[in-house]
Amino acid sequence: MATTGATTAALDPTELARRSSMALRARVIVEGAFAGLHHNPSLGSATEFAEHKEYAPGDDFRRIDWKVVGRQDRYYVKRFEDETEMRTLLLLDSSASMGYGRNSVTKLMYAGFVAAALAYLLARQGDPAGLMIHDERMRRYLPPSGRGGHIRELLGTLDTMTPGGPTNLAAALERVADLAQRKSLVIVFSDLLDVGASGGGGAAKGKTAQALSQLSARGHDVALFHVLDPDEIDLPFDEITEFLGMEPGDARDVVVDAADLRQAFARESAAFQSRWRQTCLQAGVEYRLVTTQEPPGAVLRSFIGARGRTKL
Amino acid sequence: MGLLAPSLLLGLLAAVVPYLIHRFGRRPPRPQAFAAMELLIAAERRVRARHRLREILLLLLRTAMAAALPLVFARPFMERDSSAPAMALSQQSAVLLLDDSASMQRTLGRSSPFERAREQALAISRQMPTGSALALVLASGQNAAPIAELTLEKSRVVDAIEQVVPTAKAADFGGGIRRATTILNNATHKERRIYVLTDGQASGWLDSAIPTGENAPDLAVFDVTKGKAPWTNHAVVDIEALPLPEAGANAVAITASLANWGPVPASVTASLKIDGVVVAKGAAEIPADGQTQKRFVHILGDDRAGLHEVEVSVDPDDFPLDDQRYASLAMVQSLRVLFINGDPRTPRNEDEGFFLESALQSAESGITLTTLMPDEAAQADLGAFGVIYVANVGDPSAALAASLTQFVSQGGGVFFSTGQNVDPDAWNSRFGGILPQPIGVVRTAATQGAPTSGELVDGRPAEHLAPLDRRHPLMARFATGADGLASARFYKYTLLEPIPDDASRSVILRFESGSPALIERIFPATGAGNLKPGRTMLLATTVDRDWTDLAIRPGFLPLIAEVTRRLGGGPEGGRSAELVVGATRELSFAGAEDTLEVGKPSGGTWLSRRRGQSDAQRVPFTDTGVPGVYRVKAGNASDTNRAEDPNRTFVVNIDPVESNPAQRAPDKQSQANAAAQNLRPKHKVPLWHGVAMALMLLLLAESIVTLRRRAPATAKAS
Repeated sequence: MATTGATTAALDPTELARRSSMALRARVIVEGAFAGLHHNPSLGSATEFAEHKEYAPGDDFRRIDWKVVGRQDRYYVKRFEDETEMRTLLLLDSSASMGYGRNSVTKLMYAGFVAAALAYLLARQGDPAGLMIHDERMRRYLPPSGRGGHIRELLGTLDTMTPGGPTNLAAALERVADLAQRKSLVIVFSDLLDVGASGGGGAAKGKTAQALSQLSARGHDVALFHVLDPDEIDLPFDEITEFLGMEPGDARDVVVDAADLRQAFARESAAFQSRWRQTCLQAGVEYRLVTTQEPPGAVLRSFIGARGRTKL
Repeated sequence: MGLLAPSLLLGLLAAVVPYLIHRFGRRPPRPQAFAAMELLIAAERRVRARHRLREILLLLLRTAMAAALPLVFARPFMERDSSAPAMALSQQSAVLLLDDSASMQRTLGRSSPFERAREQALAISRQMPTGSALALVLASGQNAAPIAELTLEKSRVVDAIEQVVPTAKAADFGGGIRRATTILNNATHKERRIYVLTDGQASGWLDSAIPTGENAPDLAVFDVTKGKAPWTNHAVVDIEALPLPEAGANAVAITASLANWGPVPASVTASLKIDGVVVAKGAAEIPADGQTQKRFVHILGDDRAGLHEVEVSVDPDDFPLDDQRYASLAMVQSLRVLFINGDPRTPRNEDEGFFLESALQSAESGITLTTLMPDEAAQADLGAFGVIYVANVGDPSAALAASLTQFVSQGGGVFFSTGQNVDPDAWNSRFGGILPQPIGVVRTAATQGAPTSGELVDGRPAEHLAPLDRRHPLMARFATGADGLASARFYKYTLLEPIPDDASRSVILRFESGSPALIERIFPATGAGNLKPGRTMLLATTVDRDWTDLAIRPGFLPLIAEVTRRLGGGPEGGRSAELVVGATRELSFAGAEDTLEVGKPSGGTWLSRRRGQSDAQRVPFTDTGVPGVYRVKAGNASDTNRAEDPNRTFVVNIDPVESNPAQRAPDKQSQANAAAQNLRPKHKVPLWHGVAMALMLLLLAESIVTLRRRAPATAKAS
C-alpha cells in the first residue's frame, strides 16, 4: 500500500536514501509523519484579519472570502494575525565531518532529509523558506521566498549538496544574522564537531555559542539539530583500527584497539552532548539531538508537536 | 637445586615468543575515516596509561607462562637433609611412643618439646618406606594408643599424630614401652623398633620395662631437646590450706612448698588467690636445687562458711603449668554442739568432759558448746544442735532416748562414748535403735596406775589401736597425724556384741585385738525435704583419762575435730581430695540422692544420674585433665539448686614429678642407636608441582586480564 510504503520510508533513513529525488523524499516524510493523524499539520486560525492569500489545495475552503471572489473572480482565503507568513531559514553545515556515515546515510544526507521535509511543509503553508549551505564559507544561499518554483529550487539544491571543507559554523551564523532582516525561524543542522568537541573552553565553540546567543537575542527563533552518527555515540568497533581525521588539513591519525576505548569514548561523547545542550539552554536556543538512524518523520513530528500548532 | 631433565630447559627459548608476537606479530590496523576525532583523542588520552600498563602486564604474564612450561617438564628438585633418621628408611614394624606429658609443653625456643617430638614422629612415619607397619602409643597417663595395632596405612598414622594434643599428665614410659612391645609381638617384619620421642626427662622412666632378649624389639630414644641448654625450673609442688582458729574464727593458713631446680637460688614472688581474687603476695627465696615453704595467713570475710578455692602461684617461667597449684578449703558454718555429761566431777580435770570440751573448743572455729546433765538434756530442744556427744551416761531415761532417736532421724549426728557408769543392758534397750552396735562387757587390758615398764602395764601390755584403715573418709585425713593415734594406750574398753554385717555400719578404728574401737552407723535420709543422712558413732572407751590416755595424745584433737565435722555434715578432709591430673575420682551417691554434678575448672559440667537402686552407687569421674578445683553437687534430678558437697569436692594438680628437669641417663641400647639416629640421609624435594601451580595461576591471571579487555560492544544509540 502506498501509505504503508510512505510510512516505512518516513521511518527508515536508508529507505529514504533510495528515493530518486529530494522532493519525493520530502513529501514521503511529511505524509508519513502525519499519516493517520486527523489534525491538520498546517497553521491554525485566529480572529484578527491580516491579509488575503490565493487559495491553494489543502486550504480550508471555509475560509474562502466570497466577497473577493465576487469582485476578482479568483479564489482567495483570509489569513489572520497569527497566520502571517513566517520566514524560515534552514542552515546546513556541509563540512567534511558531516559526510561521515557507515550505513549509506551520512549526517549531511540525513540533515538534508529533515530540512527538505520542513521546507516542503512550509511551502505547503505558503510560508517562505530559505536555505544556506555552509562549511568554512557559504557555499549556497537561497533567501526565503514564497514564490512558485522556489521550493523546487531549494529541494534541488539539497539534492546536489556534498560535504567538504573545514567547519566554521560561527561564521555561518554571523552571516545569517546579517542577512535576516525580519524575525525568522533559523533551523541549524550540524554535528558541531571540530567546533569545540574536546572541551568546554575551545575558541571555536565559544564563538559558535556566542553567535547562537546573538542570533537569539535579535529576536530570531533558533533551533539546533545536533546530528550525530551512532558510531559517534558508542564507538561500536571491535578491532585495532587506524582512525583518520576527515576534514581537509586534519592529519590526525590514531591507532587504537577500539574495544579498549569504548567506555571512555562513550563517556566523552555524552559529555560533549551535555555541554552543547547546556550552551543552547543558556543562549535560548532549542537543542535537539538526532542520530542518523532515527526516522526523519518521527523527528519532524516531534519537532512540530513540541512547538504547537500555531507556530512552527 | 637440580633438574631431572635439564635438556628440556632449551624450551626456555620460547619465552621470547610472546615478545616477538607483541613486537612484530600485530595485524595491520584497519583504516577508518572518523569525524569525532577530538572525542576519540580525549578518550585515548584518558585510558592510555592504564592500557599501556595492561599491555606490559600481559607481555610479562605470557613470557612467564612460556618460560614456566619447559621448567615444569625439566622437573626441578631441591636436595634437603632428611628430618628422619636413616634407621627409619628401611622396611620395618615400628611403634611410635610419643611423649605427651606435661613437661613437653614447656617453651623451647620458638616451639615446645612436644611440637618437636610431633614433627619428628611425622617425619619418621612419612619417610618410612611403603610396606612398613606402624602404630602409635602415647607416653602419658594410662598410655592411650590412638593406633593400637600395626597398620600399613601411613596416612592414618599421620592423621593420628597430627591430632595428638599434649596433656598435663605425668609420663609413664614403663607402661608405654610394655604396650608397644605387646603390639610388636604381632609384627611380621624382622626389623622391629620402638621410637620414643621425648624431652629426655628422667621421671616416668622405668629401665626394667626396656625389652631385653634375643627377640626383643629395638628401642630408639630421641631426645628432641638435645643440643639445647639444660632446663631450669621452679614450681609450686605442694599446698596445704587449714583453718587457723588461734588467729580468729575467720583465719586460715595456707602453706605452699616452692621448689627450685637450678644451679642458682631463685627469687620469686608468690601470690595467693582465694576464690579467684589475689589476696596476698610475698617474696620467696628458693635455694639452688632445694625447696622452701611460703606461709600465708588470711582472714576470710564474715561469709566464710562454705568451700573456698585456693591458688598459690609464682612468677611464670618456661614451664608455666607447674607455676601454680590449687587447694580447696571448707569452712564449716557455726555449729552448735551439745555435750551430755554422764560423769560430772567437781575437780575440773577429773570431769568426764574436761578433755573433750577442750578439744572441741580448740579443734574447730565456729563451734558453740553447751553442756547439760542427762535429765536436763531430756527436756531440751535437741533440734537446735548439730552434734550431740553422749559420754558415760549411766541409765538413760526413755525421754532422752526418744529425743536422741528423733534427732538422728532428722539428720543429726550423735557420738556415744562408754565408761564405768554405762549399763550395757540399759544402753542396748534405750539406745538400741541408734547405737552403731550393741555394747557388751568391759574388757580390762591392763591395770591403770600399776608400775610400767616401757609399754608394759602390770606385766601386761596396754592395748593399742590397730594400723589405721584409711579407706574410711574420716581416717584419710590422718596422712600426717597417724602417730598421734598410734601411740595411745587403752587399759579398758567396752566389747561390742556381734551382729550380722550391715552396709550401714563401718568400723573406723580397731584395737589391736580386733575389737572395734570407733564404729559409725549411717541412717538413710527419710526424704520429704530431709536429704541429709543421720549418723551415730560409738567410741568403745572413755573420752577422759579413766580408761585410756587417748585424750592426752596428739591425735585426739584432730580426731574429735574430724568426728565433729563428719557428724555435723561438714567437710571431711582436704588431702584425700587431691588428685593428680588424669587420675580417676570415685564419687558415690548418698541417701536419696539420684544426681551428681561436677563443675569443672574449665567451665563445663558433668552430670551422673543413678539408674535405679540396684545400680552401683559409685561412679568413676575421669575427666580430670585440667588442674583446678572440681566442685561436686548432689541432689535430686528435679532440683534446680543442688547442694554443694565439700566432702566430695576435690582438687586436681599437676604431678610434681613433671616439674623435675633431671635428664635420664641413656641406656646402652640407646647409646648404640645414637649414631644411627644422627645419620640423616639427603632426599629430593620435587619443585615442579609448585612451578606447575604457578603456571596455572599465570594462565588464570592472563585470562582475567584478557577478558576484562574484551568488553562487549553496544551499538544502540542513546
